[in-house]
Amino acid sequence: MTAYAELMIGGLMSGLVVGLAALAITLVFGIARFANAATGDTMTAGAYVALSVSGATGSVIVGGLVGALAGAAIGVVVYFLIFRKLAGRSSVANLLASIGVAFIIRAIVGVIFEHQQQVFQLPLVRPWRILDIRVQPSDLNLAIVAVLTLATVFLILYATPVGRRMRAVADDPGLARISGISPTRVMIALWALAGSVSAVAGVMYGIKTVVTPEMGWDMLLPAFAAAILGGIGHPVGAICAGILLGTIQEMATPFVGFTYKLAISFVVLLIVLLVRPSGLFGRNEGAR
Amino acid sequence: MMNRRQLLATMASTTLLATAREGFAQGAPTFRIAALNPITGSGAAYGAGMQKMILAAVEEVNAAGGAGGRKIEVVAEDTQSQPQAGVLAAKKLIEIDKVQGLIGIWSSGVALATIPLANDANILFMCTSGAPEITNPQVNSKGLVYRFNTTGDGYGRAFAEACAREGFKRPATMAFNNASGIGIVDGFRKAWEKNGGKVVEAVVYEPNQPSYRSELQKVLAAKPDVIVTGSYLPDTTIILREWFQTGDTQKWMLPGQAANPDLIKAIGPEASEGLFVVNSISNEMSTAYAKFDAAYRKAMNQPGTSNIYAAMAWDMVIVLALAMEAAGPNANVAAINAKIREIANPPGKQVSSFAEGKEALKAGKVNYDGASSAVDFNQAGDVLPDFDLSVISKGVITRKNIIKI
Repeated sequence: MTAYAELMIGGLMSGLVVGLAALAITLVFGIARFANAATGDTMTAGAYVALSVSGATGSVIVGGLVGALAGAAIGVVVYFLIFRKLAGRSSVANLLASIGVAFIIRAIVGVIFEHQQQVFQLPLVRPWRILDIRVQPSDLNLAIVAVLTLATVFLILYATPVGRRMRAVADDPGLARISGISPTRVMIALWALAGSVSAVAGVMYGIKTVVTPEMGWDMLLPAFAAAILGGIGHPVGAICAGILLGTIQEMATPFVGFTYKLAISFVVLLIVLLVRPSGLFGRNEGAR
Repeated sequence: MMNRRQLLATMASTTLLATAREGFAQGAPTFRIAALNPITGSGAAYGAGMQKMILAAVEEVNAAGGAGGRKIEVVAEDTQSQPQAGVLAAKKLIEIDKVQGLIGIWSSGVALATIPLANDANILFMCTSGAPEITNPQVNSKGLVYRFNTTGDGYGRAFAEACAREGFKRPATMAFNNASGIGIVDGFRKAWEKNGGKVVEAVVYEPNQPSYRSELQKVLAAKPDVIVTGSYLPDTTIILREWFQTGDTQKWMLPGQAANPDLIKAIGPEASEGLFVVNSISNEMSTAYAKFDAAYRKAMNQPGTSNIYAAMAWDMVIVLALAMEAAGPNANVAAINAKIREIANPPGKQVSSFAEGKEALKAGKVNYDGASSAVDFNQAGDVLPDFDLSVISKGVITRKNIIKI
C-alpha cells in the first residue's frame, strides 16, 4: 500500500510539471488557435535564466521569478516578431513557425550556456516518513509553487479585466473585436502569461531533473498529450489531464513495467478520445 | 557559461575547420573523412573533445606530409547523441560531402542506425559504442566497422569482477533502454551468473523522464547491496539525486560514461560519497597517450583522463592514416581497410605516432600502440582495453585498482 502511495506521489509531481506545460500550450491554442511547439524551449530558456540568477543571487525563489519574467519576455518578443505577422494564417503555418522558433531558442540557449548538463544547487535532503510513506520536502515545495502558479493564472483569467477579454477572444474572436476588445493587447497578455507558465514548468522540471538545452523539447510530446486529453483550449482540463496521465503512468508500472509506461499514457489518451473526442473537459462544438 | 576565451576558441576552430576544407580541396589529392560526434545531447560532455582530437590528430598527419601521399580533410557533423539526427548527418556526409569514413561515432543507438549507411557506401566506420551487436557478422558484414572501445560484454565482465572483489552478494541492475545500456547489464548478468551469482532485480528505464522514482522503488524493494547501472550522465544524475532523497544507503556501481566530475558537481559530495565507478581506461602508460594528453590539454584545458573517448578518436585517425600509408598512394577504401589490422596488431615494430609509423613502414611492418588501448583488433573488429575500479570519496574519483579481463 505504501508502495502505491509513493508511486502516486511520484506521478503527481511528474503530472504537475507536464500539466503546467500543457496549460501553456492550451492557453495559446485557445486564443491564437495553434499548437505552440516553442513551449518546450521556452521552458528550457526559463530554466536556464532561473539557474543563472539563482547561482548569482543564491536564491532559487528569486531565480524562479526572474525565470518566469524571462519566459514572459520571450513570449511577447516571439509574438511581436513572428506570430503577429502570421495572425490569420492557417494553424499549420503557425505550428511550423513555432517549431522554427523552438530551434532558434534552443540554439541560442546552447551557445550561451553550452551543452553540458547543469543542476540547481539545492541541498539534497532525506525524506520525511509520514505513515511510513516517504514524502520529500522538495516535492512539497514544488507542489506549493505549482499551486501558486495555477492560482495566479486562474485569478488572471477569471478575476481580471484582461482575463475576461482573453476568454472573450477565446470564445469568439469576431464578437470580441466588435465589442471593442483590442486583439493586440489580449495577445500580449496571452503570450506573457503562456511564456511565464512555460518558464515555471521549466524551472520545476529543472529542479527535479537536470538542465540541458534539450530538456524542454523532450517534454513537448507528453505536454501535447495532456493538452489534448484535457480538451484543447481548456486550462483546467490541461492541469487535470497532466496529473491524471502522470499518476496513471506511475501506478501502472507494477503491472506493465517501465518501458511501457509511456505507452500507457497514450493508451489512456486513445480511449478517452474514442469516448469523448473533445477531450475530458472540452465542449462539443465541432472543429475548434 | 561560455566565457570570452572559449567563445573565441570555438570561433577560431570553426574558422580553421572551414579553411582546412577550402585549402585542401584545391591542392593535392585529399582523403575526406567525417568527424561524426555527439556535440549535443547525452554525449555532449565528450563530443567536443572527440571532435577536437580528430582535428588535432589530422593536423599531425598532415604536418608529417599526409598519409599515402594524401592529406586528410575533415568534415564535422553533430549526431545530437540521437539516432535520427545521426542518420541525417551521416546521409549528408556520405551523399553530399562524399566522405570515405565516418569517425568518432559515440552512442550505440547512433552507431547501429548509421552502420548500414556506411556499409552501403562501402566506407570505413570507427566508433566508441558498446553494444555487442555492432561488430557481429550480420551488422559488420563487410568488415568495415571498428570499435575502439570495449563491448558491453567486456564491460559487464569487468563489473562482475569488480562486484566480486568488493564482496557484493545481492546485485540489482538498472539499464537505460538502448543497446548500450542493456548491453552492459546483460554482460554483467551473464558473467555474474556464470560464477554462480544471482541478480536480485533488473529494471530497464526510458530516457527523458521527469522522475525515476518508481523505477528506483522497484529496485530498492529487492533489497540489493549494490546496483549496477548501464546508464548515462543525465539519467544517472536524476536517479542518484532521487535515490539519496529516498534515504536508502546501498552501494552503486556506475560505468565511467555516467560517473565523471560533472556527476559529482551535480549531486554534491555527500550523495556521491562511496559510489563505485568501473571504466575502460586509456593506455595511460603509452607514449601515444602522452602525445594525446598534451593535445587534449591544449585544446580543452583539461587532462586527457577526463575523456577516454577523445583518446579513442585520436587513435582512429592515426590508425586510419597508418593504414593509408601502408596501402600506398591513391589506395581505395578496400585496400586501406585490408591494412588496418596489419598496422594496428602485432607483429611489427611498436610505434606511437603517425610520423614514427610512417618512417618505420619504409623498413617493414608496424604495430601501433595507441592512446586509448593497445589497439589490437580481434576478428570481429573489437579491441580489449583495460578497466579500472574507482571510488568517489569527498568529491574526488580515486582509482582503487586495475581490472584486466
